[in-house]
Amino acid sequence: MIPTAALRRSPRGAVPRGDRRALWGWLFVSPATLLLGLFLLLPILMALWVSLLEWDGQSNPFTGGRADFVGLDNYRELFVEDGLDRTLFATSLRNNAYFVLIYVPVATALSLGLALIVNQRLIRGRGLLRTTFYFPSVTSAIAVSTVFLFLFQGSGAVNSLLSWVGIEGPNWFADARGVVWVVLGAIGLVDPDRPSGFLAEQGFLGLTWFEWLSGPSVAMCTLLFLLIWTSSGTFMLIFLAALQNVPQELEEAAALDGVSRRELLWHVILPALRPVLFLVLTLALIGSWQVFDMVYIMGQGAPGNTTLTPAYLSYQSGFGEADYGQGAAIAFVLFGIILVCTGVQRWLLRERNARFGRTR
Amino acid sequence: MHTRRTLTATACGIALLAATACSSSFGEDEDTAQEDTEGSQSLTVLIATSGEAETGAVEAAAAAYEEESGNTVTVEVAQDMNQQLGQALAGGNPPDVFYVDSSQFANYAQGGSLYPYGDLISDVEDFSPTLSQSFTHDGELVCVPKDTSSLALVVNTALWQEAGLTEEDYPATWEQLSSVAAELTQGDVTGLVTSNEYQRLGAFMKQAGGWVTNADQTEVTADSEENAEALDFVRGMLGDGSLRYATDVDAGWAGEAFGEGRAAMTIEGSWLAGAMEADYPDVGYAVVPLPEGPAGPGTLAFTNCWGVAQDSPRRDTAVELVEFLTQAEQQIAMGDAFGAIPSRQSAADEYLADHPEDEAWGASGDWVQGPVTLRGFDRVLAQFNTDLESLRTAEPRDMLSDLQRYGEAALEENR
Amino acid sequence: MTTTAPTRRELRAEERSRRGSPAVGRFPAPWRVLGYTLVGCLALLYILPFVLQAVTSFKTDPDAAANPLALWPSPPSTAAYERLFGLSEAGDSVPFMRWLGNSALVTVLVTTGRVVFDSLAGYALARLPFRGRRVLFVLLLAVMAVPNVVLLIPRFLVLNTFGMFDTYAGMVIPLLVDAAGIFIMKQFFESIPREVEEAARIDGAGVLRTYWSVVLPMARPALITLTIMSFQGSWNEFTHFLVSTQSSQYETLTTGLARFVAGGLGSGTQYPLKLAAAALATIPVAVLFFAFQRHFVRGANAGSVKE
Repeated sequence: MIPTAALRRSPRGAVPRGDRRALWGWLFVSPATLLLGLFLLLPILMALWVSLLEWDGQSNPFTGGRADFVGLDNYRELFVEDGLDRTLFATSLRNNAYFVLIYVPVATALSLGLALIVNQRLIRGRGLLRTTFYFPSVTSAIAVSTVFLFLFQGSGAVNSLLSWVGIEGPNWFADARGVVWVVLGAIGLVDPDRPSGFLAEQGFLGLTWFEWLSGPSVAMCTLLFLLIWTSSGTFMLIFLAALQNVPQELEEAAALDGVSRRELLWHVILPALRPVLFLVLTLALIGSWQVFDMVYIMGQGAPGNTTLTPAYLSYQSGFGEADYGQGAAIAFVLFGIILVCTGVQRWLLRERNARFGRTR
Repeated sequence: MHTRRTLTATACGIALLAATACSSSFGEDEDTAQEDTEGSQSLTVLIATSGEAETGAVEAAAAAYEEESGNTVTVEVAQDMNQQLGQALAGGNPPDVFYVDSSQFANYAQGGSLYPYGDLISDVEDFSPTLSQSFTHDGELVCVPKDTSSLALVVNTALWQEAGLTEEDYPATWEQLSSVAAELTQGDVTGLVTSNEYQRLGAFMKQAGGWVTNADQTEVTADSEENAEALDFVRGMLGDGSLRYATDVDAGWAGEAFGEGRAAMTIEGSWLAGAMEADYPDVGYAVVPLPEGPAGPGTLAFTNCWGVAQDSPRRDTAVELVEFLTQAEQQIAMGDAFGAIPSRQSAADEYLADHPEDEAWGASGDWVQGPVTLRGFDRVLAQFNTDLESLRTAEPRDMLSDLQRYGEAALEENR
Repeated sequence: MTTTAPTRRELRAEERSRRGSPAVGRFPAPWRVLGYTLVGCLALLYILPFVLQAVTSFKTDPDAAANPLALWPSPPSTAAYERLFGLSEAGDSVPFMRWLGNSALVTVLVTTGRVVFDSLAGYALARLPFRGRRVLFVLLLAVMAVPNVVLLIPRFLVLNTFGMFDTYAGMVIPLLVDAAGIFIMKQFFESIPREVEEAARIDGAGVLRTYWSVVLPMARPALITLTIMSFQGSWNEFTHFLVSTQSSQYETLTTGLARFVAGGLGSGTQYPLKLAAAALATIPVAVLFFAFQRHFVRGANAGSVKE
């Protein structure tokens, strides 16, 4: 309601009677509106309906058929009912939560580092470096996943490299152990093979605390490496654009005052980057709930369901197990999670956007 | 405000239109109109192949049918059969003829996606009754079994001799299996390599006298002492390194590790023969029955049927093609090409007489267990397979009790 | 009314760096050597996977398995490429040429569609006053927040309903418009001085004529950015093709390669073949990237508004 009212009041937005431009306006936006409506809005409505059905894909869910209306059962199975659905869903949430926990800070820090390096006016070949760091970001996720699959084989390139420095690498894609227990086990604190006591006996949503606290599995780490490797270039460019907007006078003034390099970074550059830092953090947060292509290639959930993500689980339930209602329900829960993340992003950046709007 | 109302109305209109008018797709409830059979028709066949040998054999058989009938047949290979077939059936434009795995059969038959054609096939009693039983729904034979194979122990004869073993040493008991496997495990070679699937390890459960369900699949019997004993035995072998999973030795499947000489023994079915011939023709091997467990001999048998889509507009022609493909002559040709044991008893007898070395793959009798064919069980068993990945370190009783719990829930949903 | 072409800022930064007056003095020599070494290692991490991929695609299967790190194939073999281009008798289980053809077709159609429809809509939202413009723009922002992974089952349902499942139409039409592209074009059109259009209007040019011969030519840089983003996006698209098709005749480089790599019992590991296919799938985007790097950079920053 508010936008329309604003449109009426603002002199520029007012639509003069008989202005042909209004007609052309609708004509110009109609193909885009139609396509976005049909293939973005409508599908979401249809899926919302299907998420309330028990539908096996072998009849038409919109004309009755053999699809039973089950209300919120599909959602209840995910959160309340003790069963396979809940265990799998909780597992996928756990996996993705660890993914977020590691991916977001590491990718942000790395890409900031890369941007600082590439922004160094003293380094030769900066353009070449920028190209190098950015190139993985433009290639197809399928193609680079194939490459990583090759590199991280049990007797592959990565383990060969590790063996040069005397480390016997794990069998990456077959190793379902959580890294937390691997590390704690290595220093002798716990026996990861035989969990005991409270952690193994109590649990939440069908997983024991031992399983919740395991950290990402070794196999999940390869996915983490891959996503960090392919996305750091994009984030680097965002930082770089911001770095180039840091007024040079500021740096020069600081230099004249005899400020050290580290102080310059901490007190001048980083504060100037604050808004962009938030942007990258939230982009990484949202992006890490959307990993699908790489999971499809590199694990499809295996080993031990430790690379299962909600996105893949939704696909798997729908297309693999013909339980489309369940799949759609998972997709909507995931949608909710991503919307919350987006909301946080918009909220954090509201100040910036407001300024943006005014200059227009 | 006006605009918004218009927009809402438009959106609702579109949604309504979509939901009601365009029911042309999806799997339909009403019968699909049949094409005129006068002219030449073109059929699509979707298969899940065990390798190029099998693809080639199916293509050759299809070509022979084209020659005879004047129809055209396109053979497509699915990389992910469940997903591709499921999507095709939901999409309402499925392939005319396709493989149906016995574990998926109940889902599709119940959903009404399969055209029941059993009574249209000539001499249908010739098909092995146990196999036909797997593809019967509501007392009606829905589709006919394509071929079959039971699991056997396959040994690499060269590695066997290198280790100083003779034919006398082919293991007949669990103890013998575990000791020869340990003996064969040296350097790069692992004694026994197989997959972390109940479709392989379940044979040990059968040998111990257990199984996932009771004989008529009305009860889940996963958390039995017999099953635990079987998994304990497997766990012991995993623990001393004489048994390893294919993924742990960088192989896509056990046959690859076996062909490359990194596994001295494996547990596979007759599809291994085709792969060995195509990829590792120089590797000599022998096929022997699986060792006996505490409860005697036991193995698992697998089969697919030739499904015909209910939604196909060319069902009669599709059945004609199936009739052609399941003739004794064609089944024997498939066997020669990639080792599939014919599902027609007459053909199986003839084939095994010609190929005595494959005898162990053609096992029959009540010690041969078919896979679980209950609706909704594939995901329960997929979870069990996932648990089996960590069998080396995990507690078998825990995974069996999970299987019991999830299995009972799935069974409950079927009632 | 201030109007700044988005390039101006970049120009300033560019110029500043050319002047190259360092604000802070140079590091001492040992630190510099260490710094260069570290940066070199880091760069190596980003390059090495591609180098190994290229080298391995010329290896034989046993060589690739035994010496995954060797930087020279012994013996060199072009078997993988011969098989991909259908020059060997090894069978057609990897119909690479069909994948390539499908990818090319879909990419051309989608890119064309996006350039046309996105710029039309972007212009209307930026400059043409019509009822509901604000509402549409708010909807557009909302739509941009819908992630692709949520649309897997929904897209399948809607394509199925329209009878477009497993057709080229189903692969292409839903991708013809993308919200982020409209957003970029809108931003750009807003930066063009209004006076230019008004002058054309006073000369008696209609909306279509103004758009076609006055505004579009000025939007060249933005159109190139949009073209490149669309090309890259649709060439690398995977999830949509995965749920909109089922038959192998519609497989693209991404879906074909993905099914080949992820599935396939009995096909062995065959890494040289897989890596060769992956390399060939990367080349078109790589060529485009090296030719138009500037536009990729702009696309990445514009795209950050999305997601």
